[in-house]
Amino acid sequence: MDDIATPSFILSLSHIDLYLGSGPARVHVLKDVSVAVAPGEAVGLVGASGSGKSTLLMVMAGLERADAGTVEVAGTRLTGLDEDKLARFRGRHVGIVFQSFHLIPTMTALENVAVPLELAGRADAFARAARELAEVGLGARAAHYPSQLSGGEQQRVALARALAPEPAILLADEPTGNLDEATGRQIMDLLFAAQRARGTTLVIVTHDPGLAARCDRIVRLRSGAVVAAGAEVT
Amino acid sequence: MSARGGPSVSGPRLPAALAFALRELRGARQGFGVFLLCLALGVAAIAGIGSFARALTEGLDREGRAILGGDAAFTLTQREASDIELGFFTLRGEVSRVASLRAMARTLAGEAALAELKAVDPVYPLAGRLELSPSMSPGALFAPGHGLPGAAAEPALLARLGLAIGDKVKIGDAMFEIRAALVSEPDKLSAGIGLGPRLLISVGDLPATGLVQPGSLVRWSYRLRLPETAPPEALDALMDAAHERFDDAGFEMRTRHGATPQLERNMERIGQFLTLVALTALLVGGVGIANAVASHLAAKRATIATLKALGATRGQVFAAYGIEMGVIAAAGIAAGLAVGAAIPFVGTAALSSVIPYPVAPRLDGATLGLAGLYGLLVAGLFTVLPLARAQETPAALLFRDTAGEARARLPRRPLLLAALLALGLVALALASAVDMKAASVFIAAAAGVFGLLRLVGMGLVALARRLPRPRAMVPRLALANTHRPGALTPTVVLSLGLGLSLMVAVGLIDRSLTAELAGPVREEAPSFFFVDVPSADQAAFARFVADRAPGARLRAVPMLRGRIIALNSIPAEAVRPSAEAAWVLQSDRGITFSDTLPEGSRLVEGQWWGAGETAPLVSFDAKIAAGLGLKVGDTVSVNVLGRLVTATIANLREVKWERLGINFVMVFSPATFAGAPHSVLATLTFPGGADAAGEIALLNQVAEAYPAVTVVRVKETLEEARRMLENLSLGIRAASLVTLLTSLLVLSGALAAGHQRRVYEAVILKTLGATRARLIAAYALEYAGIGLVTAAVAVAAGSLSAYAVTVFVMEIGFTFSPAVALGAALGALAVTVALGLLATLKALSAPPAWVLRHL
Repeated sequence: MDDIATPSFILSLSHIDLYLGSGPARVHVLKDVSVAVAPGEAVGLVGASGSGKSTLLMVMAGLERADAGTVEVAGTRLTGLDEDKLARFRGRHVGIVFQSFHLIPTMTALENVAVPLELAGRADAFARAARELAEVGLGARAAHYPSQLSGGEQQRVALARALAPEPAILLADEPTGNLDEATGRQIMDLLFAAQRARGTTLVIVTHDPGLAARCDRIVRLRSGAVVAAGAEVT
Repeated sequence: MSARGGPSVSGPRLPAALAFALRELRGARQGFGVFLLCLALGVAAIAGIGSFARALTEGLDREGRAILGGDAAFTLTQREASDIELGFFTLRGEVSRVASLRAMARTLAGEAALAELKAVDPVYPLAGRLELSPSMSPGALFAPGHGLPGAAAEPALLARLGLAIGDKVKIGDAMFEIRAALVSEPDKLSAGIGLGPRLLISVGDLPATGLVQPGSLVRWSYRLRLPETAPPEALDALMDAAHERFDDAGFEMRTRHGATPQLERNMERIGQFLTLVALTALLVGGVGIANAVASHLAAKRATIATLKALGATRGQVFAAYGIEMGVIAAAGIAAGLAVGAAIPFVGTAALSSVIPYPVAPRLDGATLGLAGLYGLLVAGLFTVLPLARAQETPAALLFRDTAGEARARLPRRPLLLAALLALGLVALALASAVDMKAASVFIAAAAGVFGLLRLVGMGLVALARRLPRPRAMVPRLALANTHRPGALTPTVVLSLGLGLSLMVAVGLIDRSLTAELAGPVREEAPSFFFVDVPSADQAAFARFVADRAPGARLRAVPMLRGRIIALNSIPAEAVRPSAEAAWVLQSDRGITFSDTLPEGSRLVEGQWWGAGETAPLVSFDAKIAAGLGLKVGDTVSVNVLGRLVTATIANLREVKWERLGINFVMVFSPATFAGAPHSVLATLTFPGGADAAGEIALLNQVAEAYPAVTVVRVKETLEEARRMLENLSLGIRAASLVTLLTSLLVLSGALAAGHQRRVYEAVILKTLGATRARLIAAYALEYAGIGLVTAAVAVAAGSLSAYAVTVFVMEIGFTFSPAVALGAALGALAVTVALGLLATLKALSAPPAWVLRHL
């Protein structure tokens, strides 16, 4: 179903339209958005609050369905997949880092990292998760629960969890938004180092111009439409 | 390395859903109290009632030998066994002969009371122990002393006649000395329910009483004890031989394995009814389970969304949380089973003085398994839909709060699963039912009330939403709280409504039964039944009564005792009667003959015979005939006084049994029993009622003048029946109380689940200037409104159910009791407002600054 060729673009969104709400409250959130990202590229999604950045990221992750247009990720057209097929696809090919970390409070750091590997049925889930935790410098905190970790530590666990299944694409939604500046910088160093080392494609939503500047390319949205999609210095 | 509280890095290879479920259980310690309690309470009630009922019936079986008075009993009515029959018994074991009959016990002062007379031989009892006070052997009890034979009487008889040990008592034509009080007799239960207290004499002294006359109602029982060396199959061999030799002789044959079939059946039926009531409690608890699961899963939305974002399918989410709920349900069921298993032990210890035979409770795997299965089905039924809703949680929730979005439509598979679980529950209740009809009515009523209350809850929310907004803040807030998302309204109406409906139904059925017992006495029931009036004395007896009770109406009919041997030549043992008709085949029945259709009967099929009819014909009660599969033209073979009579059913009658007049299942054409010795059964009715003193005076006079006539005072019998009914309804009320308790649990669970919202709301309103008094008034108004509607619906649904049960199942009149209705309404109101305010007061005491900082 999701056999992967080696496309010139690993992520390709073409003429995406998306509406949210119904009746008088219906809002045209994404307007004829077309974005293409090459393998290994780091793209920053920027724009004002409500411009549609996070919604666009959700469309890329297959978490939101577009009303029009096509989405192709890692050689798979997402448009025709049902919810469960999308979930399995995400588990294998897409890693996500959230602003609010979204660690599972009843699981230890190690278990949190192992979740996508377990879902994919990997026999070495815990060994691999332990390696990923060590990579982000939290090998000693494996048995701690999220409530026992600082915000920065939680986001590092979330990063390890996103990277563990070695996804082709890493999507990050304002990953430093809930962290202080220094901690945020550490997380971003880790994120970009891992991305470069593994050749992972990265799409990152951010308000932080400094962070956006570290990307290969910036896509700017305004009121749901792409206003600039090339290399840019802000 | 090893993860504290988690698996090692080499990892256990558990399926992902199971691994997630086990991890989720770490945080599941809180919020499942109501889930566990609801399930445990319902399962405990079902397991406890079932195990206790089983222990009681097993006790009957185990003690069968003592209860029956031997390994086998052969009972004849109105005649003694012939020498050949007796020879058959004595050849096979030790035989004890016991005669039982009703008789009037009279004092020298002229006081009389109805007694159940039992005359026993010197070897009585063959099994068990006779307890007398003062303690003495049967030989010493019956030995002639002071020139009189001895007797023992139950304390109730001694009290009723004002007798003491050493006093004299007259029975028929003979005088006895009371030597002891009868504390207990081992075979009391097999005699069935008596109309009076027991009086024990020697069978050798019975002829002197003059009570044994041709046609008088004496039951002769021959109890047989097999030799200790007899192999286990000897009893079966004995019964086979007895059936072969004496099948037409009119013997009622029982073995120690079925010493009290009627009592066992009644126990099973009462046990089943109480189990159904307990099942209602479990269903009410199901609402609490559904609330607890929904509220737990609502708190887990972010985790579920995260799992889905990381690649979990809906099936994996359903499985992970399904397993978690399964583990919690298993804990609740296990706790319920543990308590339920203990109930028969505790019950036996507490009621040992009331239960008339030894009971040995045990862990009953089948009953506990059944209760566990009920628990599993209910937990599954009420968990599957919240789980199905949870599996639809969108992963997009992590990026955007979608709490306000419309609920996704549930997929078909969980709905199908829920329907299958509901069907399984109904099938299990029906499969384990003793009385299928009663179980069906109960299940239909419970399902109907459940559906009705759910509709009312939803309707009330919809109505509150459409009502114009009051201008004043307090009623406006109360109204808004009634219909806001997550309002308590549907939960309260459903859970409290179910418990209350059951209480109202039980209360009204109880009142209707009591009214039924009291009603006919006032209006048309006779004051006395006179049994065994010799047919030769009928005219003199009528004159005697007319002189002493002028204006009273004496009605007399001939009466014989007969036992149905065959229907359409099929032996009675081979007939499969309905539960309602089975009693007719179980022992001998009173029968009569008449030229005309009896009073209180209505011909529904066939023709009444002419005055000169010579053929043996019989008129049958229509309902019993239907229960036995009989129709006009069929034949009935009856053994009367050792003679086998076969008659053709000429017609069917509708009999008004509840009128307490003289009614017979079978009325024969007079030619059928031409020349047969018989006695007369008479009733005496005082138009406009009689005073108690007058009744007792007449009873004493009749007992003195006609010592062989048994006088049954209807008021006393009804009083006895009312006492028995009270004991029974006590048990039913206790089981219903479990339902009400579960309702309260569900209610408190729902209040606890809504606590955070209340705190938030109260703090915001307080910040905006609302006083505590205003907030309390608003909440009280909200709870009072919901409570009032719940009470109204519960009274209506309970009354309707009680009406259906009394009119269609019990076939008696329905009596509405405003006291029961009002009690339920006020109770519901008080409970809802009290519990609601209790939960709210905690919310009101939360300091606003702290809450706002932590929002």
